[in-house]
Order: sequence, then structure tokens, then C-alpha cells
Amino acid sequence: MGKARRVCLGIAIGAIAGPLTLSSSAVAGLGAKAPSIQLDRAQLGASLHAVPRGGHTTYAMALPNGAAVKEFANAAGAVFAVTWSGPGKPDLRALLGSHFPALQAASRVRDPRFRRVPPQVHQSDLVIQTGGHMGYFWGVAYIPSLAPAGFSVADLK
Amino acid sequence: MIRLVIAFAVALMLTACGGGGGSTATRSGSTGSSSSSGGGTTTPAVDNYATVTFDAGPAALANGSPAYTAFNEPYVSVTICAPGSTSNCQTIDHVILDTGSVGLRIINSVISPTLLSALPAERDTSGNSVGECYKYVNSYAFGSVRQADFSIGGEKVADMPFQAIGDTGTFAAVPASCSSGGGDAITTAYSFGANGIIGVGTTATDCGYICQQGYDSGAGYYDCPNSGCSTIIARAASSAAPFQQLPNPVAAFATDNNGTVLDLPAVAAAGVTTLTGKVYFGIGTQSNNALGSAKVLPLTTSSSSLGPGFLTATYKGTALTQSFLDSGSNFYYFIDADLPICTQSGLSVFYCPTAATPLSPTLTATNGATASGAFTLYNPSTTTSASANVAPGLAVNPTLVTPPLPFQNSFDFGVPFFFGHKVYTAIEGRTAGGIAGPYFAF
Repeated sequence: MGKARRVCLGIAIGAIAGPLTLSSSAVAGLGAKAPSIQLDRAQLGASLHAVPRGGHTTYAMALPNGAAVKEFANAAGAVFAVTWSGPGKPDLRALLGSHFPALQAASRVRDPRFRRVPPQVHQSDLVIQTGGHMGYFWGVAYIPSLAPAGFSVADLK
Repeated sequence: MIRLVIAFAVALMLTACGGGGGSTATRSGSTGSSSSSGGGTTTPAVDNYATVTFDAGPAALANGSPAYTAFNEPYVSVTICAPGSTSNCQTIDHVILDTGSVGLRIINSVISPTLLSALPAERDTSGNSVGECYKYVNSYAFGSVRQADFSIGGEKVADMPFQAIGDTGTFAAVPASCSSGGGDAITTAYSFGANGIIGVGTTATDCGYICQQGYDSGAGYYDCPNSGCSTIIARAASSAAPFQQLPNPVAAFATDNNGTVLDLPAVAAAGVTTLTGKVYFGIGTQSNNALGSAKVLPLTTSSSSLGPGFLTATYKGTALTQSFLDSGSNFYYFIDADLPICTQSGLSVFYCPTAATPLSPTLTATNGATASGAFTLYNPSTTTSASANVAPGLAVNPTLVTPPLPFQNSFDFGVPFFFGHKVYTAIEGRTAGGIAGPYFAF
């Protein structure tokens, strides 16, 4: 349960629903600023629904294959958590952004006999937990230090 | 102590069936001894069964660096032939029998070049080859979709598409949308722990409606012009010729096509080096695959928001609504923060109870039917023999994130649950033993 706050750079949450023109090279995904969510939405071909809630805003995306992705942005507009669930696995390179290599590194240390053990990351400021089975995969990636004060991981559900 | 702790540092030698052609694992699809029909007087119309063998795995594991041995892997042998040929054939041993996935997948490099060159790639509407990405929880497999005449036991499917994992040429480059799901690429028998996998799970094809719409469900099909594969394409979900998606091979049989019965003996706590059982094809279709008094547990279907093939396991008061039985999971996988985790190097994902611990999850089917999922949890560092390639009652905590984030919603009853049980897996859309699939029964 992280309580650190980030300096607000004044990105208006309300702008998310409107058209944004961002360079395709802009950093997207976990840890990025909320406007990057539009890049993720475009990358995933998803619809987007934003719900402000307490100290954070939840951006819920419905993917064409029926899967659900949520990005959680703090008051400063930084994405502090991403969750996914449903058929297939979404584009985690996009959703995890600069943290995708950490997931891959966690995957590579596996013994082949444990190939059903899902990749996971448990660092002081990055937690990734994944799982699933044929036809349904899920995961959550979370940066505790970016989470708003009082935020509980139970709120990620 | 379980051999796993020895890990990769030591080349583990010469258990009985460590070679590629383990003596009990090479039953060819075209041989066929007289059937053992369980005391019935009916002679089966076809040999509707195959031998299932647990051993140290294919030679590639022992020959790799570092060498390792398979553990709790149910292997069968399958035969593939060039379409229409009875001579350009290969029997492939050490193929995992997986009730938790669907479709035949074979590591490309274990197929002889003579045969491979005679196995045509499926073509899409553009006339290009078709590729497939198949995602597992910790990995992904990419390769071509090729057609072969397939057989196992006496059962056959002509022109059946399968995935040639790690195929070369047009298929050498993995599409970004395949690898971006994360995890490692499966390319070799060494990295897979098997020469292939035959998925005989609860659905009739490996993707169904989602791929029919041109999307990815964890299985995704690709248009593969000579320049490579990048675009996901729609493929029809037919479990009969002409195929597009990979069928559940059992669903594609002419008979005995409504499910399977996996019949494995009980295993002593210390484990054994080899284990032999049988998989019967069909449920209630012959005298050797009757449903009998097995408890039937209907499952979620492909149209469920939870995904297909699930039931609820209630464990220590928590209902886990995406639980399943899976012969392709070599251990139990579930979260219990109260059970101690092993401290030995190489065992750090296992539970190490201080004494044999009875656990009693309850299974609840979609129709409310219940059954006991009870088993005894053992300590791999003290109970399991160093020479064992097979052992019961071992469980892995799938997340070492503490405390676990509140997302784990499954209890995976892996192959140890099948030891000493006859487990029936009925296919969605089929009636098996007079009862509509999908269901598990045992």
C-alpha cells in the first residue's frame, strides 16, 4: 500500500476522453502519464471509459476479443497500476511500458519443469502478479510509490 | 529429497527410460494389441486407447545443457503421416497428454525433414501460409499450421492441422503481437520438456468464436506471406474437415469423439521412476470407457465470461471460481499463505509442510453438484525420493508476491490429482455418457 505522491504536472484528467495528438514515440503504459492511456487504447483497439474515484481515476478498456484492461492514474496523472483479464494476453509491452523487461527477466529464470509458474515480479517498488489458463489470463502490475494515499490493492479489483 | 533440488548443476544419469524411445512409450498408432475391455464381452470397434507413460522425458532433456529430467509429465506417442501416405510417417514419443489445452503441437525440429517437407501448410484466403501463436501462462509457442494424417491408438484424423512449433523460413520471426503477451518463447524439446503436446481439453477447437471473429484468445492465427507473419486473421472453428483452427484431436475422431478418460494408478508418497497408465478415447462409447458411478461436474462453456472449462473450488472458505483439473500441470497450484514454503534452493516455489497434511478443497460444478477434491500434501524435500520422476501430493505456490494481490481465482488440480482416479473430461457441445459436456467426472 504505497502512499507517496508525485508532483502534479497539471494534466487535466478530463482531457482524456477527448482526442489527443501524441507522438507515437511517447512513453506509454505503467508509470507513464495518463494521456499515454490513449496510446494504449489505440494500440489495443479498445473502447475506453474513465471513472474518477477518490484520489485516482480508473480507465477501463474493453478489448475487441472480450478482455478487460484497467489503468489506474493518480491525481498527478501517473499510471500507478494496470490490470488485465479475459481471453488472451493483451499487449504487455504497451501496458507495462518501461517495466516490460522486468516481467521478461522474471520469466527467464524459470526451471522448465515449472513452466506453469506464472512470471511475477516482487521488487520494493514494482509488483507484477500474473496467472491464467487456456482461454482466460489475468495480471496486475503495480507501482506502490505512485499510488495515492490510502490506496489499497483490494481497490484494484 | 526430491531430485529437483539437485537442479541443473548435476547431470542426472540413466534412469530407466531416459532415452527418446522409452520402452513403454513407443506404442505406435498402427500397432495395437488386443484390447483390455475391463471384463466386458464387447470387442471395441477400434483401439480407443493409448498408453500414458511418466519417465525422465525425451533425450533432448538429458542431452541439453544443463541436463534435466522431466517430472510428473504424462507422455503419449502419436503418429503423423504425410496426407494420404502410409509410409512417410513418424511416431513421436514424449508428447504431453494435456487435458488443460486443445490441439496437437509438435516441436518442429523433432519432425524428420522428409516428413516435414511433405506436410502442407494451411492456406488462408490470400493463398498465404497460416501461422499460429499459442500462449501459455508462462510462455508462448509460435509456428506454422500444417496438415497431417494423425493417429493415436486406433483413432485417426485425416488432414488434421497441427502447430509446428519453432518452424523456420516464413515462420522464423515471431510476430510482435505474439511475444508481447510476455513470457519465454518455446522453440525446442529442451525448452518445452517434451517433443510436443496433445491438448484434449474441454473445447472442440483451440480458439472457437474469438478466432472466428479475427481476434486472439490466447490462440491467434496469422497471415504469413513470404515476408513473414504479422496480421491476425479470422479462422473458422470446425472440428471436422475442412479444418481451419486446430481441433481437439479427440473431437475430430470419427468415433469415440466426446471426451477422454485418463486412468492413472495411485503413486506412493515417495514417488516412482516410471508410471504407466492409459487414456481412453470416448466416454460411454465402448465397454472400456463407461461413465459408471463417476461424479459428473459440469463446467463453464466458451460463452462464459470466466472462460471455458472451469468449476469452483472452495478452499479454506474461499470460493475460487476459475478452478480446473489439468493433466498438463505437473503439480497442484494454489495459494495458501499459512503453508510454509520450502527453503531449499531449487524448491523455493513448493510448499514444504512439516508433516503430511490433508487438504480438503471442495469442487462445485456449474449445476451445483459437488465433489471432494481432497488430497494429502507432501514435503518434496523429505518425502519425495531422489530417484522419482513421478510423485503425488506436491504443490506449488503460483505467486511469491507477499501478500498476494487479490486476483488469484483458481485452484489448479494438476496431474497428481489424477493418480488413483479415473478422470473423465467431456467436450463442450458433445454428449458423453448421456450427459452434456463440458464436464469433468471422477
